[in-house]
Parts: sequence; structure tokens; C-alpha cells
Amino acid sequence: MAEVVLKDVMKNYGSLYAVNNVSFAVEHGEFVALVGPSGCGKTTTLNLIAGLIPMSGGDIVIGDRVVNDLDPKDRDIAMVFQNYALYPNKSVFKNLAFPLQMRKLPKAEIEAKVMAAAKVLDISHLLERRPRELSGGQQQRVALGRALVRDPAAFLMDEPLSNLDAKLRVAMRSELKRFHHNLNATVIYVTHDQLEAVTMADKMAVMHGGVLQQYDTPANVFGNPVNTFVASFVGSPAMSLIPLDVVSKGTEVALRSPEEGWELPLSPMNARKASASSNGKLVLGARHSTLKLHKSAAAGAAPGKVYTVEPTGDVTFAQIFVNGAVVNISLDPTVAIEPDEAVWIEFDQDRMHLFDGETTMALKAA
Amino acid sequence: MSIATQQAASPPATGTVQKRSGFLSRIVAHRTDYLYVLPALIVMLVVIAYPIYYTIELSFFRTPPNLQMRDKVWTGIDNYVRVLSSPVFHEVTIQTIIWTLASTVISFLLGLGAALSLHREFVGRGLMRALLLIPYVISAVAASYVWKWLYHSDFGVIGAISVQLGITAEPINFLDNRQTVLASLIVVNIWKEFSFAMVMLMAGLQTVPDQLLRAAQVDGANTWNRFWHVTFPHLKGVSMVTVLLLMVANFNSFIIPFVMTGGGPADASHIWITHIYQLAFGRQQWGVASAYAVILFIVMMFLGYFYVKALTRGDEARA
Amino acid sequence: MAAIETAQRPVVRKPIDWWRWAGRVFLTFLMLFTVLPMAWMILTSVKSQFAAMQYPPQWWPSEPTLNNYFKLLDPTNRIGREFLRYFWNSFYVSLLTTILGVVVAVPAAYAFSRFRFPGRTFLFFSVLVRNMFPAVVFLMPLFLLMRWMGLVNTHGSLILTYLTFGLPLSIWLLKGFYDNIPIQLEQAARIDGATRFQAFILIVMPLSSPGIIATSIFSFIGAWNEYVYAYTFLSRDDQMTLPVGIQRFFTEFATDWPGLMSATFLMSVPVVVLFLVLQKYFVRALTEGAVKH
Repeated sequence: MAEVVLKDVMKNYGSLYAVNNVSFAVEHGEFVALVGPSGCGKTTTLNLIAGLIPMSGGDIVIGDRVVNDLDPKDRDIAMVFQNYALYPNKSVFKNLAFPLQMRKLPKAEIEAKVMAAAKVLDISHLLERRPRELSGGQQQRVALGRALVRDPAAFLMDEPLSNLDAKLRVAMRSELKRFHHNLNATVIYVTHDQLEAVTMADKMAVMHGGVLQQYDTPANVFGNPVNTFVASFVGSPAMSLIPLDVVSKGTEVALRSPEEGWELPLSPMNARKASASSNGKLVLGARHSTLKLHKSAAAGAAPGKVYTVEPTGDVTFAQIFVNGAVVNISLDPTVAIEPDEAVWIEFDQDRMHLFDGETTMALKAA
Repeated sequence: MSIATQQAASPPATGTVQKRSGFLSRIVAHRTDYLYVLPALIVMLVVIAYPIYYTIELSFFRTPPNLQMRDKVWTGIDNYVRVLSSPVFHEVTIQTIIWTLASTVISFLLGLGAALSLHREFVGRGLMRALLLIPYVISAVAASYVWKWLYHSDFGVIGAISVQLGITAEPINFLDNRQTVLASLIVVNIWKEFSFAMVMLMAGLQTVPDQLLRAAQVDGANTWNRFWHVTFPHLKGVSMVTVLLLMVANFNSFIIPFVMTGGGPADASHIWITHIYQLAFGRQQWGVASAYAVILFIVMMFLGYFYVKALTRGDEARA
Repeated sequence: MAAIETAQRPVVRKPIDWWRWAGRVFLTFLMLFTVLPMAWMILTSVKSQFAAMQYPPQWWPSEPTLNNYFKLLDPTNRIGREFLRYFWNSFYVSLLTTILGVVVAVPAAYAFSRFRFPGRTFLFFSVLVRNMFPAVVFLMPLFLLMRWMGLVNTHGSLILTYLTFGLPLSIWLLKGFYDNIPIQLEQAARIDGATRFQAFILIVMPLSSPGIIATSIFSFIGAWNEYVYAYTFLSRDDQMTLPVGIQRFFTEFATDWPGLMSATFLMSVPVVVLFLVLQKYFVRALTEGAVKH
């Protein structure tokens, strides 16, 4: 049984559609990440689920109830905010106790639950402090604790790690994941950081312009992006995208650089995909790890020019201009190349992505 | 999966209202919001909207002095003609302009000087600021009595000092003299309000980034250049609001001239407000006074336009 | 490597900062301008009537006396009784104005800060523009209105009018405070199980207490110092507030300057004390809105 279901959810401000026909289902115990660039509607979607802003259309189901018209307090959810939203005039203990007090639990029970949550999060020694006396990481834990003291149907998290410094963020990321695992909790997690989504989530919902682009497991989103937006958004460094023309010579199909004139023959499988493109133009996508670098012309390789070289220690990243587009490639640190050097890039036919030049959708073999 | 055909930016959490999407339906949708403003609106309506309406109405009537308003007689724009053609009105208008401008400009400059001198941290700075603010806090009535005593023609301390220092041969009669009365009152007004400008500008000075001042210093700017090129541009917004607020307050002053001189001698210290009061409550010419008030009203509307404009700059930046 | 030497180089003496000195001189002048009148008020208030009326004046009272104060604060004589009565009237009117002002301004300011209802901007500015108009413009019609409502010569007339001329500023100030309280706090409270109203009372109200204190000081000082309406609406002696009542000493004891100065001093004490104690809030309230932080 799905724990949270969104069906055709809409939110518009006049002619401005912040959330446009979004539908997806979150199973019980699933960790779902809502990702997308800022302004894509992910936080608005979360606020709609929480009931903090009224919906313009569609249905939201939490547990076994349609909650469209319920107040946030009646939706049986907990939420962690980006800036933590700890009540500054209350001690940590009172912050944690507040949701229980609001539900009129007996005092002894409140204390027991707060203590238990504090113990889990290792903040028992901070209970008497005020939020402003805590470090960012500690505030983060308290915010989590306030969500944890209850046993809600779903946890909503709005970029909970983005205010932490990089090192702490990585540590908290694994703790959150562990916390999800231990509690078997249903979590909907908003982030603009695709790495967070990929590393933590069971499923990710990629949003752009108020529209849900793809809803799938991180592996599938990474492996089979539905369009160029998802392809370029997920993965780091980003997938390289090169706009090219499709040319057919009998049964052979190749890609041609419109500016530099070189051609790249395609495998039969890719040829069938390329033929499906709507106007003879497509976008070739390739992840950095699937590319091979040659210092001289080779079969199935496209010419390029080195732009920058960035050694990171165990792997060196290089950016190479191919047909005017920037191509990211990872190299063994022993490979010596210089900026402005002429190189050739070989593509892996089995692991390349082909997108329609007009609709930007992934091409399927006809 | 569908592709985004229309780009939509996520609006702030509270949402921005789009114009023209069923004004009435939006009012209905927000009906509970109005409950919060309702008490304030009712009070304002009774004590503000009604008086404004009634003032405008009365300004077109000849009114009986006994306040039996049933007996008022329609006279069209007679009252306006009477006000605008009266020589006293012209005299009082000039006095109002002198009063407003002199008080505003001098208070602002003194306040600016004080703010700049107090900006640097030193021992006793907080105490000084507090002392300078006391005249602003106390009642204008208290200020008026204190200064009336200082100006006293026989036993006033200012007159005595000027004689002792040999500036004048005998004590000056500050308030009973057409030549000195307005200036004397302006001094009291400045004494009362310059520290308002000081506090506003001190707060404004805190928004000047230290880094900019240091950068200017490194670039070779001297004290004056640092003030003129860095500090002053940052104070522009505050200065505008301060000057406007001072102008409105001065234009609307009543207590100091009314309590100290009652507009005398021979109308030499009347400004519009005290003059209107005298016409209404002294001479019972309610209709004429109303017409006068409406004229004042129109002038205030102009000032009000700039006031709201100056204030909204901050609001928009925050919203 | 050569040792670093500074000893032989000429030492440049720091130039005198003339601006700094000008600032000090200017401040001294301003302090004298501000403080001397107040000092003279206090000096006069401890003189006898005879000592005050001398030429040249006694710079320092030869026989300082607190008789003027005793007279004003002694409820057994007529002057003391009346003065204390005015004092109580002023206090009562100011306090009630302040409390009612907060009760009315808080929800309005909150709504203006949080909700986006149609007509919000128009309403907000019509409230603000009220600040622009002088009391005198409203005086005549309000006087007639109060007569019609039977409120002339009651404190109700004063409280009602003071309430309105305090409201715009209170609403403006409080809105600034509410704007600075993150909306996420209320959202968190509502998710934690609070209704909108509970979130407001339990979370927002305590956080806006500095704003409420600031606006309260303003309302109180404004009401305490108000003169025009009190002068017009009240004619009965037992109803008068201090700024109006004090005039009676002036007219009845036309030459009693020491008495008037001590009354003026006593009248100023509450607001000055209030100001000194809560200076931080007062200054913040004064500058809020005009200065972007």
C-alpha cells in the first residue's frame, strides 16, 4: 500500500504554474528525493503535501485518507525545514516537546518520548540550551528530533542539509540514511543537490519548470535519463551533450559535426535510435567515464581540443571542446595532456545516449 | 513523462497574488484575513474617514457659531475665496514656510553633525545620546513652558546672559516682538526635534559598510572625501525619510506656537495650523476653518505622496 | 640576509585630525544647547518665588528648597490634590490607550505582514497616510462627533482619538518585526499540531515582544504628551490630563514660575524614565522602517 500519493497535483498563481500536473506514489518505508534546480517547484510540492499552501487542483493521499482539505496538523506528517525553524525562545527540550504538547499527551509520556528521541540523536546533553547556543549540526539534530518524537505517517524534509558545511553535510547524509533504515520511515526529501538524491534515495523525482520529468530509482535515472535535462542534471561531472546531425549512407548511419564536418559511425542499435529523430538532428550524450582519449586520430573517435586539465589525485578530469560543446572526460593521472593540445575522443557505443534534437527526449529504437 | 512546455518559477512560500483573476472570488477566498485588520479599520474609519468627509462638507457652508449644524447655509466656494483672499492668510503662509523650512533644515544639519560626531565609539557616548534625546521625548507643552521662562522679558535667563556678556544693553523681549518671535519659536522647535534626525542618521550610519570606508582610506581619500563619496550616498535613503518626517511634523506643529504665544503678537507667530484653530475654536468660523483645513489637506497630499514613496522603497526591498 | 632596519628612517608624525576636533567642539555646543534649558528648569524649581524673580538672576539658588514639589505632591492641599488627579488621569488614559493600541495593532500588523489579501497595499497605505494629517484638521468634526456620541468631557474621547493616531505607527513598526520572523516557524508549529491561531499565540507573539514593547512605549509617550485633543475635548477640571491641567497653575498663579517648573519637571519624569529604561527599543522603533538593515 502506498503511503503518500500525489495525483495531478497543481498549484498556479494566475497564469504561473509552480506545480503542473505532478503525480507519483511513495510506498511505505520508501525514501523519495524531490530534486531539481531552484525554482523547479520541488519545495512548493512539498508544501502542498504538508498542507502549508492550498492546492489549485489534484488529490493528495497520506496513509489511507485524502488530505486535500486537511490542516497541516491533521495530516499526520512531520517536517524538517531548511533553516531548521527551531523555536528560538524555547529550550531544546521544549522544542522537542512542542508537537507532543499540541497533541495533549500526558506529561510523563512527553518526557519519556523526548528523552528517547534525544538519546537516539545524541543530544541529551543539550536539552536545556536555546537553539542559538547550538552549532549548525546540533540544530540540525534537534530539528530532526522534533520530527522524530512523533510517529508520523511520513517525514517531509526541505533541504535539511544545505545549511551545513561540506564535511558535516556528508556525515549527516549517512546518518539520515541510517535513520531511515532503522525507522523504516516514509521520507520525502527535497534537495537541489543531485548527489544527495542519488546517494540517499530509493527513488528520485526530477522536477523542472513545475513539471515532473522522471520518477524512478537513482540507478535508472542515472542510466536511462528520459531527456537532456535529466541527463545533464544527474551525475557529476555532468553528462556531456553534443548536438550533431544524422546522416544516412545506405544502411550505414553516422553522426556528423555540422561545424567541423567529421563523422562518427553508429552501431546498428544506435543507428536505429538515430533514425527515429524527428528532424535529422540529435544530441549525443556521454558520461565522462565512458570516454576514451586518443592522442592521434582513431576509428570511432571525434577530434577535439583540450581546454582545461584538473588533476584531483587519483583521477584527472579534462574538459575538451568537441564540435563547440564542452566534453568532460576522466583520465588516468599518468596521461599527460596540455591545454590547447589536439586530441581524439572515442565514444562507447553501448553506453552512449541519444536524444532527439528537437524534443530533447531520449530516442528509442524504432 | 511530459516535458515542460511552460517554464514556471517557484514563487515564495507565501505566494504572490496575480492581478485580475476574479477580484471578488479572491476577496471571498481571503475573507478570514480581513478579520485581523477589521478592528483597526473600524477605528480608523470612525475617527478618520468620517472627519475628513465632514470637514470637506462643512467647507462649503456658512456655519452658525453655536455649533448647531442644522442651521448651516450652503455658500459654495465662498469660504475658500475668503481664506485665499485674506491678507492674514498670505502673511501666515509665509510664516508657515519659514517655520517649516528653517526648522527642518537646521534640525537635519544639527542631527547630521551630532550623528557623525557620535558615530565613533567613546566613553560616555551612550549617555550623551540619551541626554540629547530627552527634549524629543518630553512633552512639547513642557518644552514650551521651559523656554517661555528662559525667554521671559524681565527675569529670563537668556536676556540676562546677553546683558552680562554685553551683547545687548537691556534684556530682549523675545516673544513680544514681531521681529524676533518666529525665530525664537523656531529655536525651541529645533531644540525639541533635532535629536530625532540624529537618531535616524545614526542608524543610517550603521549601514555604511566598514570595508568601503577602509577601501576608500587605502585609495587615499581624506576624511571629507570619505564622507562625501562613501558615507553620504549611503545616507540618502534615510535622509530623505528623515527630512520628510521632519517637514510633516513641522508643518503640523501646534503646541509650541499655541502655548508660547498663541500666534501673537499681531499674528506674527501664527502658522496654518494655529490659525485654523483660532478661526474655528476662537472665532467660531467653522466653515471658513474647514475650507482652510481642506487647503492644508491638499498640500499634505503632495507631501504624503513623497512620504509613501520614500517608505515603500524599504518595503519593496524586503518583500 | 640583511637585518631589517627602521631606526634610521624618518618617523612621520600622525597629523592632527581636525575633523575630530571639530566634532568634539560641535558636540560640546549641542550638549550645552540641550542640557542648559533643562538645568535651568530644575534650578528654578528649587527656588522660592522671590528668588526666581530677581534681576540679574540668581545663577545658583541661594536657599534651595523643595517646597514647590511638596506642594504639588501633597494631597491635603488643593493644588496637590488637583495635580495628583491630573497625573492619575494622564496615566490612566495613556495606559489604556497603550493596551488597546496593542490589541488592535497586533492582528492588523500580522495580517499586513503575512497575508496577501486583495486591497492589502491600499489599506496599508491609507493607514499610514493618517500620520500625515495634523490633529487640528480632525479636531472640529471629531469634536462634533464626540458631542454626538456624548463623549465630550470623558476620557473615552481621548482614548479613542489617541488610539487612532497611534495606530499607523504601531502597525508599521510591528509589521517590520513580523516581517523578520521566518514564516517557517509558524509552518513548523502548524505541522507540529498547532492551529494557525495557536501558532500565532504560542510562537509568533513571544518572538515579537520587543516590537510590542517598542510600540507600547511610543503609544504611551504619545498619549502622555498629547495636548490638542485634551485641550479641546475636556473642560471639566476633574477630567483634565497633565499637559492641559498644568496650564491652570500658570493662569491662576500667573507669576509662580518655580511652581510651574517643578510641575513641568514632574510631568516629564515618567516619560524620561520610561525612555531611559527602554532606550534600546525606543531607538529601534524610531528608526525601524526608515533604515534598511
